[in-house]
Amino acid sequence: MKEQYPQKQFAKFMRKKLVVLFIIVLLLFVFLIYRLYSITRDNGDQYKKLVLAQQKYDSVTIPFRRGSILDTNGNILATSEKVYTVILDSVALNSDEDAIEPTFAALKSEFGIDTAKVRDYFEQNKETSRYYILVKKLPYEKIQNFIAMQNEDNSLIKGIWFEEEYQRLYPGNSLACDVIGFTTADDIGSYGLEEFYNDVLSGTPGREYGFMNEEGTLERTTISAEDGNSIVTTIDANLQAMVEKYLKKFNDEYADNFHTGNGANNIGCIIMNVNTGEILAMASYPDFNLNDTRNKDALIGMPLLDEKGDKVIDEETGRRVYISEENVSDIEGDALYQNYNALWKNFCISDAYEPGSVSKPLTVASAIECGAIKGNESYNCQGKLEVGGHEIKCHNTYGDGILTVAEGIERSCNVCMMYVAQAEGVNNFTKFQHNFNMGLKTNIDLAGEARTASLVYTADTMRSSELATCSFGQGYNCTMIQMIAAFSSLINGGYYYEPHLVKKVINSSGATVENIEPRLLKQTISQDTSDMIISMCNQVVIGEHGTGKTARPAGYIIGGKTGTAETLPRKNNEYVVSFLGYAPADDPQIAIYVVVDRPNVRYQDDAKFATKIVRNILTEALPYLGIFMTEELSVKERAELEELKIEITTPAKPEETEENAEGENQDEAASETETTEEIPENPNSEIWKTFEIDPETGYAIDPNTGAYVDPETGATIGGSFSDENEEESTESEITDITYDENGNQVVQ
Amino acid sequence: MADRFTLKKLSTSRFLDSTLIITISLLIIFGLVVLFSVSSYDGSVTYNDSMYYFRKQITSTLFGLVIMFLVSFVPYHFWARLSGLAYIFAMVLLFLIIPFGTEVNGAKRWIKFMGTSIQPAEVAKLAIILFLANLVCRMGSAITTWKGMIIALGTSMPMVLAIYIITRNLSSAIIVFGIAFIMCFIVSPDYKKFVLMGVFLVAMCALAVYIVVRNKDGAMGYRGERILAWLDPNAYAAGKGFQTLQALYAIGSGGIFGKGIGQSMQKLGFLPEAQNDMIFSIICEELGFFGALCVIMLFLLLLWRCMILANNAADLYGALLIVGFMGHIAIQVILNIAVVTNTIPNTGISLPFISYGGSSVVSLLFEVGLVFSVQRGIVVRDS
Repeated sequence: MKEQYPQKQFAKFMRKKLVVLFIIVLLLFVFLIYRLYSITRDNGDQYKKLVLAQQKYDSVTIPFRRGSILDTNGNILATSEKVYTVILDSVALNSDEDAIEPTFAALKSEFGIDTAKVRDYFEQNKETSRYYILVKKLPYEKIQNFIAMQNEDNSLIKGIWFEEEYQRLYPGNSLACDVIGFTTADDIGSYGLEEFYNDVLSGTPGREYGFMNEEGTLERTTISAEDGNSIVTTIDANLQAMVEKYLKKFNDEYADNFHTGNGANNIGCIIMNVNTGEILAMASYPDFNLNDTRNKDALIGMPLLDEKGDKVIDEETGRRVYISEENVSDIEGDALYQNYNALWKNFCISDAYEPGSVSKPLTVASAIECGAIKGNESYNCQGKLEVGGHEIKCHNTYGDGILTVAEGIERSCNVCMMYVAQAEGVNNFTKFQHNFNMGLKTNIDLAGEARTASLVYTADTMRSSELATCSFGQGYNCTMIQMIAAFSSLINGGYYYEPHLVKKVINSSGATVENIEPRLLKQTISQDTSDMIISMCNQVVIGEHGTGKTARPAGYIIGGKTGTAETLPRKNNEYVVSFLGYAPADDPQIAIYVVVDRPNVRYQDDAKFATKIVRNILTEALPYLGIFMTEELSVKERAELEELKIEITTPAKPEETEENAEGENQDEAASETETTEEIPENPNSEIWKTFEIDPETGYAIDPNTGAYVDPETGATIGGSFSDENEEESTESEITDITYDENGNQVVQ
Repeated sequence: MADRFTLKKLSTSRFLDSTLIITISLLIIFGLVVLFSVSSYDGSVTYNDSMYYFRKQITSTLFGLVIMFLVSFVPYHFWARLSGLAYIFAMVLLFLIIPFGTEVNGAKRWIKFMGTSIQPAEVAKLAIILFLANLVCRMGSAITTWKGMIIALGTSMPMVLAIYIITRNLSSAIIVFGIAFIMCFIVSPDYKKFVLMGVFLVAMCALAVYIVVRNKDGAMGYRGERILAWLDPNAYAAGKGFQTLQALYAIGSGGIFGKGIGQSMQKLGFLPEAQNDMIFSIICEELGFFGALCVIMLFLLLLWRCMILANNAADLYGALLIVGFMGHIAIQVILNIAVVTNTIPNTGISLPFISYGGSSVVSLLFEVGLVFSVQRGIVVRDS
């Protein structure tokens, strides 16, 4: 075979050329070696850092699950749910042309994505983009189908992946919004329990990273996230819902009534277990949706605040401006923040105001406790009292005549209280105020409790006139939580419990981490004094002249005290009305406090705005709490309860007895006739009962002054306790507690 | 001078050349080790099997070794008769891509045949060696003329163009042409022609770069962008410069002695094609400048040994087969290292024996088999 081919030799010149070729190759190699060396020498350190910097992207933070907030029965008030963000990896999708159409089709059908827009993005970035957010925060149910399609054999869905995170959810929407608070986007609590218990609720994020092990295979190591603990609150979601229902009902009834805006600037309600300090319900109106905290519509109806947090006054009318649908969109920047702050804060703990007459039991209790009075004294009310050069008026400027201390509480007589306070003196009065925690924080476990230290008098700063006004709750400020906590100690035998909202901390698997027991802080008064106060406060509701009769729910006897406090500046016809009560009357288990801050009516100084709310709430709440009815029901009451589908727990009575019985209900119904009957018996002391009744308003008209007078109590409508000359020396009106950027409280 | 590069003493020609065996073995073993190190991450991420690439490569290598042994026992003149057939076979394979090619990363370069992917461009490299060696031998002194030169080079052009047009694979086209060029260079006694051609080619390249830079903002396709990215990779860090930059990071971060085998960070998804064209930069990262030097030395040793064998070949045909192999290795190694060091614009060229690729390693081992076959034909001359 070989012979067929020319046996040409590899000539000498060819060998030479081969050597030349080899030398050329050698030189090129040397050059490349130099290149390698120079890269290592010149850029080695820089590239080492760059390589390490790039590595960081390979580790992924795994989010922790924030603990839940549960109500006392384990119902979920706040929880975190895993949600999925859909990410498009354009480069990966682009690597398989056949997958592009099916993938877009699946995105459209499963997530309803506008594929035209995504397609544009994809076409422009298909060689570079690896991370493009398509849809945010979908629950697992919404991506289930898509994942199944992705996992099919030969699936043509490429370049789509899911990023996990947790989203805070509030199943009750606005339920207990002020108590719960909410979280910011980075899962940090803001306001309420979310803020106060942020450290408890937060867990530790985990981390996932890849590395090559000694065998050279890739290993993914996961340090799993540690989920946060959950808190079990003392809030009862059902009770809370009842409270909020009736606050809302009040608002709906009085919204846009006298002026545009909500039914009142603020309406607050607290229900507390008097024997433990546990808060069973705490609500305030206006409320907001915790799942949509930045919805401007929730602001509508609130007083408009400027960027400093001051209420905006219309220059022409001199009236406060309220947020309406027209001006809500104009609120921006700092002003918007101020208004949101007013909405998000918890009125029950963050706002301080002059409590008014609800503080009268405190005055009497302290005077009895320090021995200044025995409690059986009588004082003569002539409608006013001259103290320290000021003429301080009673509600009833015509005078109630001679009243016992108990009657003073029943009728809410200012003069009577001034005498009592004079008897105990400034030192005792301020000492007991301190005992009742006035001026001190209650340390309730909520973020944003107001400081009121500067809003009360001390023994050094209190003069006789201040002592006089403070005796009936004007001149000093407190918060709702301070007042109800102090009042609870008056009616539970003198035990002051720290109010609290959380009773248990549990971990993510449900095991108890910590039990939070009721904290008894001090004994404010003796059992005997407590018993006397209870009997006096019962008269407020059941007594003939009681100011709180309208607070009594059908089937029960409760006790309590009304309050009608003038705001500053005085004589501008603006009031904070309230009722602070307890049930059952003979053995108080719960305390309830309702405050209506400036009801939206022409004549605000009527505690009935508060007592009606209390009655509505208790009518439903007491049966729910398992407290048995003790009183007979009238036909009307029975119908009312049946309409509300409330189980009647009082023994049924035959109809005849019902009609003959002399229940409280008759008092109410017969109040008109009563008036005429009583005139001859007591002409001097109840002169207002002779006045003509204005058919429009239902108030009596004083023929001398033309002022409206409450036909039952004789209190002048729109009246003021202060005389004309009184200087406006006392503290501000309702104090708004706000937070500055650092989260510190700012008292304005 | 050339006599110094003749074999003074050759062990009996029945046995294969030990230096060549050791060099080839080292390259193959080293290549497999590095390939496993580089590809295990991508394998475990993409195929959930860290051995995926390694297993496929070792199969191809074993198959290639069998081919190598078979070819080494076949007298090399056997291939002279088949040279035309080899050329046609390679061309047919290339044209089969048009209907049957599978597309990977946007380019049709492979055809599936009985479950294995074949890259016709790799077969073409082998075919051009077989074909030209025979052609040049037949042309005899005609090769010394311009006309002969143009005929020799011209016959390679259909293949070069087929590779470029069908597979859009410029680098393989360049390699095939380069092999032809080197073979012609060796058999032609003068230098002038080649210097002229070399100068012409360099001038053309410079002109191309100049045009691209002038039209910087205009549209000029991805080759233009690659040239711009070559000049300033940082400016194109998110696009065409990304791979080059990542390769440079790998080289630079390796330092003198490297991070140790298996310790590369760049292979963890940062450097695209780490197991293919960019494998040399991972060698630099893991074994450092020193390791890279060793690899280059191995290739030099291989080339040097081939040169010795070619110079002692029994005839011109045998010598040219070895020269073709030398050209193939030299061009690919130089271009590959030049690409990863950003000395030339980025174009996909694999590193012989080390980069991942079954067709490549089988073709190369076929060529090694030819070299051994030629070596067998060497008769030891007594000094």
